[in-house]
Amino acid sequence: MSHTTQVDIEALADSLSASADALHARLLRAIRQRPAAGQPAPTAQSAPPPISQAAAQALFENEVILRQRANALYLEAATLAAAGLGGLQQQLLDLTAQAQEKIRKIDRIKDLVALTGELLSLAAAVATGAPERLIAPYEKLKQRVESL
Amino acid sequence: MTSLRSCLHLLLIACLLAMLAMLGGCASSTPRMAEVRAFAADAPKLNAYHDLTERYRGSYQRQQPFLAPDADARERVLDASRQQASADFRRIDDVVQAYMQALGALAGDRQYDLRDSIKVVGTGIKAWPDSGLEDRHVNAFTGLTRVLARTITAPMQERAVNQLLRDAREPVQQLLDAMRKLLRLYDRSNDNEQKIVLGMLETEIPFLDPGRDRLLIALSKSLEQEKKAEYRLIGLRHTLARTNLEAIEQRHRQLVDSLPPAQQ
Repeated sequence: MSHTTQVDIEALADSLSASADALHARLLRAIRQRPAAGQPAPTAQSAPPPISQAAAQALFENEVILRQRANALYLEAATLAAAGLGGLQQQLLDLTAQAQEKIRKIDRIKDLVALTGELLSLAAAVATGAPERLIAPYEKLKQRVESL
Repeated sequence: MTSLRSCLHLLLIACLLAMLAMLGGCASSTPRMAEVRAFAADAPKLNAYHDLTERYRGSYQRQQPFLAPDADARERVLDASRQQASADFRRIDDVVQAYMQALGALAGDRQYDLRDSIKVVGTGIKAWPDSGLEDRHVNAFTGLTRVLARTITAPMQERAVNQLLRDAREPVQQLLDAMRKLLRLYDRSNDNEQKIVLGMLETEIPFLDPGRDRLLIALSKSLEQEKKAEYRLIGLRHTLARTNLEAIEQRHRQLVDSLPPAQQ
């Protein structure tokens, strides 16, 4: 629903901008118009525009009003486009936090390296042929495997 | 005794291999994770959106010198609502960038992190000089450890990355969509700003007297050139921001579309 409204508002703003463009083109034509034939033809540089400065300013002021209206509508459309994003942003932030939690978990896999170390300690203990040395590494290994 | 030792070593290797087979599944390399990382590395490209949002917020300051008193009063009112509304627009890309960075970290290559701890293990083993374990054994074991760590982390990583992509699909798509709309609206608004600024100069310069106002004509024409260049540059930035956003949108969609079917 708000999508339709946003599109409508944007379209209205577009048409106001287009009207301002048309007005501006007309204004420029009026300013740049050559004086009518028969009048003395001064150089283009020094020719004063046929329209009075006050009239030109008034026309431009109207153009500015149209553009400001259009920009107010663009802002309204933007506000509508961004409405209700708060929930989505929160959702994405939560997912990001969960991902970071998972990263920590995966990093715990580094424990596996330690696990292998303990496995090797056990192997080394076995290889020395001294059974009493087996107990400590064995217990550590057992704990590690259970914690995975 | 020697035969007992070699027997134990064999047994140990067999144990490790069995564990590997049990835990590992397939230890495939993961081009998909590389793809995800490449996608995530593009996160800074969203800064263009951020910059243009900031520029949008500064619209009044740029127009102000060119506005007649009535227009200035109207623009001030508009500016107040623009400041208020666009405060929210600024946060959108932060959230999306944070997501992309987390995704990239999740798909990260941790092999290098492991290397150091593996070395430590290797030297630790040498603390048992009478065990009969030699360097070549240690090397073989550390090699196995590396494979083991990779074998286990890789599928976990892949699952976590896929899950994140799946869960984030909807919010990311909508946020990127909103960013695209906002960029378009900034752009249109910027067009009007440009036409107000340049239009004022265009309207006023022809009324200057070439004899009396030479300096003023020179300054305003020079300002006009500068302003035209500035707005042309902003136009290019808008195009770039839109292109970047579309590329990110498209690559995210590709990653989501190529998800394996959900588990459970």
